[in-house]
Amino acid sequence: MPVLEVRGVSKRYGKNLVVDDVSFIIEEGETYGLLGPNGAGKSTTIGMIIGILQRDAGTIRIDGAEHSVTNSRTKALIGFAPQEIAVYKDLSARDNLRFFARLYGLSGARARAKADEVLEMVGLSDHAGEAVSTFSGGMARRVNIGLSLLNDPKLLILDEPTVGVDPQSRNSILESVQALTRGGLSVLYTTHYMEEAERLCDRVGIIESGRLRAEGTQRELVAQVGEDDTVLVTLGGPADKALDRLRALDRVSEVSADGTRIRLLTEDARGVLPSVLRTLTEEDMDIRSVEVQEPDLEAVFLRLTGKGLRE
Amino acid sequence: MRPVVISALHVRRVFRDRTNIFFVILLPFLMVFMMGLMYGESRPVLGLVAPQGSEFGDRLVEALEEEERIDVLRVEDDRMRDLVESGDAHAGLVVPDDYDARVSEGGRVELEFVTRSGDASAVDMGIWVRSVVAQESSLLSTAQVTGTVRDEDFGERLERAEETEVAGVRVDSVTTGESAFPEGISSHSLAAPPLLLLYTFITALTTCLGIVQSRRSGVLRRMYATPTSAGAIVFGEALGRFLIALVQALLILVGSALLFGVDWGDPLATTLVTTVFCMVSAGAALLLGSLARTEGGALAAAVGISLGAGALGGTMVPLESFEGTMAELAYATPHAWGYDAFSTLVRDQGSVGDVATNLVVLLGFAVALMGLGVWRFRSAVTG
Repeated sequence: MPVLEVRGVSKRYGKNLVVDDVSFIIEEGETYGLLGPNGAGKSTTIGMIIGILQRDAGTIRIDGAEHSVTNSRTKALIGFAPQEIAVYKDLSARDNLRFFARLYGLSGARARAKADEVLEMVGLSDHAGEAVSTFSGGMARRVNIGLSLLNDPKLLILDEPTVGVDPQSRNSILESVQALTRGGLSVLYTTHYMEEAERLCDRVGIIESGRLRAEGTQRELVAQVGEDDTVLVTLGGPADKALDRLRALDRVSEVSADGTRIRLLTEDARGVLPSVLRTLTEEDMDIRSVEVQEPDLEAVFLRLTGKGLRE
Repeated sequence: MRPVVISALHVRRVFRDRTNIFFVILLPFLMVFMMGLMYGESRPVLGLVAPQGSEFGDRLVEALEEEERIDVLRVEDDRMRDLVESGDAHAGLVVPDDYDARVSEGGRVELEFVTRSGDASAVDMGIWVRSVVAQESSLLSTAQVTGTVRDEDFGERLERAEETEVAGVRVDSVTTGESAFPEGISSHSLAAPPLLLLYTFITALTTCLGIVQSRRSGVLRRMYATPTSAGAIVFGEALGRFLIALVQALLILVGSALLFGVDWGDPLATTLVTTVFCMVSAGAALLLGSLARTEGGALAAAVGISLGAGALGGTMVPLESFEGTMAELAYATPHAWGYDAFSTLVRDQGSVGDVATNLVVLLGFAVALMGLGVWRFRSAVTG
């Protein structure tokens, strides 16, 4: 049974259809990346999943149970870390954790114990009593994420958890997420950093203009959009004389030249590369460098949305 | 239970803030003390320069000293001028050294009345000094006139003039109605109630800042994402504001009673008026916190509204001094209704029945503001 099941969910603000018939599931222990440009409908989709926004159509099930804004039982199964540092900055990390633990229904003693446990987990035990306003960006992010772990959730929703943190803290956060999923936690992850999605996510859904345009593993997505590999060869002289022979090679779909540089599109760069190099050598051409670019999520995203992820 | 957790957090946040220790705890008492002094139990001082051993001069000094509402301080000329310049005396009066001789000869005597520019108390003092001098002057004139028909010593003639009853015109002053400031009530008892209203409202209203911060930082969204209903969040936030207002009001109530001996009157009626006014304040805070877009805007509006409504409602200048349109406009604020209620309780020792109308109107304010506040805040929570 999926931990999260989103089926035909739509949301409209006035005449504006912000989320349009979105469906996807997240299995236990799976990390699902929801990617989309700004204004694509990610935040609204997340708002409906965490139960703070009413949906106009569709169903959401958490661990098999129908989920809604009034269902406190299913809300208790979700941990949510918003992209903002959503904490009381004048309070200490410990006080913030204790307060939210109480909101998750933990009694005073259990809330205190859980807060200490989470502080340990996010590596802030030594700063537990300090006001969050005195923390660095990375430390505040860790408090933000820590708050989402207080209820031992089955589904963790991380909305751009690494925005504004230094590379070291980012790496630490990503490692923490990987450790959590190894423990069986399911994660819904949004990010503007493609490398994070590639590193963390088992599957990715690409949302644009409120619709889920594509979803699957990275390999599946690349196959879906039919993106070719690119081979870039830089020569010591003009590239023109070898072009016709290169175009005649098997599995090569397109060849173009720009001065001393040849750009070749193929469905299998590694397979076709020996033939390319042999052809160029036979033509007595001076090969300076060779670069192979296999399509990645960024390319898929660009093809599907016409925009870069950070636009 | 969750509303209690939310409200307790806000009470703690406000009262453990070091800045608030001054503004919420110390400043109100300082103001009660200062305002108490301004309403004035100390009497205005007249610095008097008069020749020692002067027969007729001493008569004038005695006449001046008879007035109980004024302290007469007999000093040297230089000292008198220093006292007036520094404001320690509200006016000075100089009786010349040759006062006796000139009075006896029937000559014109000029007394120098010294005031500091802009001292309002000096005007009252001047009126009073002139009235005393006029009385003394009339006796001296009579004694001088009788000298033209009887060959007696001036002193004997003055004595005779004093003993002679002359029918004339006099003004009898009578008062009607009850005094706004009854005799015997302490000045702190006049100062404390309006300051309770002012500080309770401003302390509660400035907590709207926390609501705006919670909205903008995403804390509110996060709270709603927990298994906490929108109703529980709204109730908790409203309860927090009410408790903050109540703690502020109780601090002033109890503190002013203990420190300055303020008698707040009927405990039940005082509790009811205070509680309902705290509800008004909490409702206003919830509404403003839900409407304001930025923290800066919220704070500016909170301070502006608090001071504006406070001034209009009689918490800075006594409501009794308002006239015409201002006096009517004042009752558009909850402060004026609270002021009237506390006046009835503190000055006239009224009961719940005497402030029933005030309570109903204040309850109306509370229901309206709290209703609007809850509606707007709930919309902010549920998006």
